[in-house]
Amino acid sequence: MPINEPSANLPLADVLRAANGLVAAKLIEDWALGGALAAIYYVEPFTTYDADIFFIPADKGLTAGIPAIYAHLQAQGWEVEREHLLLRGFPVQFLAASGLTKEAVREAARVEYEGVPAKIFSAEHIVAIAASVGRPKDKARIEQLLQQADLDKTRLEKILQRHKLKLPTL
Amino acid sequence: MKLEMRQKLAREPFTEKIRKVGQLIRLAKTFPRRDAKPAPAHPALSAEALAKGDAK
Repeated sequence: MPINEPSANLPLADVLRAANGLVAAKLIEDWALGGALAAIYYVEPFTTYDADIFFIPADKGLTAGIPAIYAHLQAQGWEVEREHLLLRGFPVQFLAASGLTKEAVREAARVEYEGVPAKIFSAEHIVAIAASVGRPKDKARIEQLLQQADLDKTRLEKILQRHKLKLPTL
Repeated sequence: MKLEMRQKLAREPFTEKIRKVGQLIRLAKTFPRRDAKPAPAHPALSAEALAKGDAK
C-alpha cells in the first residue's frame, strides 16, 4: 500500500518501522512508543487520536534534529499537519525525550508488533509521567493502570522518588 | 463496565487491542460528540460493546 493512502486500520506497524528507520539513518539514537498507545499495551483499549514517539536526539542542538526528521519522513510521503506528521491520515507526534521521558526510552520494554521490533514505555514509567503532567486525563490513566496493569510497585516507587514525584489523590 | 471485564480486555494481545482502537476511532468519527461531557457519546463506543461485537 502506498505510504500515505488512507488506511482503515491504525497503521501502527508502519509508524514503528519508520521510527526504526530514523535510527538506521542516524537521525535519532533511540526511541519508544509513549502516550495513550503505550498505555493501551497494558490496559483496555480506548480512543486516542495520535501516536507519541519519544526519541533521544542524535543532534544535541536546540532543534533536537526535528527539521531533519521531518524532512526524512516527508521524503517518504508523510504529511505535516501542525505539530503532527500524518501517516495514512493517522497523526504521529515525534517528541524529543529529556529527564524522565529519556529514562523511559532507555528502560522501555522491547516488544515485537506485527513483526516490527519496537520499544514501549514501561507501565511504571507511564504512571510516573502521568503523575508529572497531572491533567485530569493523566489521573484517569494512572487509575486505569493501577487497576488493570501488573505494576511493579517497587520499581514505580523508585522512579517516583528519583524524579521527586508523588501519585495524585485519585 | 465491570472491572473484571476491563481487566479481561486489558489482557488481550496488543495487536487485537490496536485493532479495537482503530474501530473506536472510526466510530468516533461516525458518531461525533455534540458536547464536551465526559459520558460516552454512543454505547457502541465502549470497549465492552466492541468486545461483544455489538458495534457495527
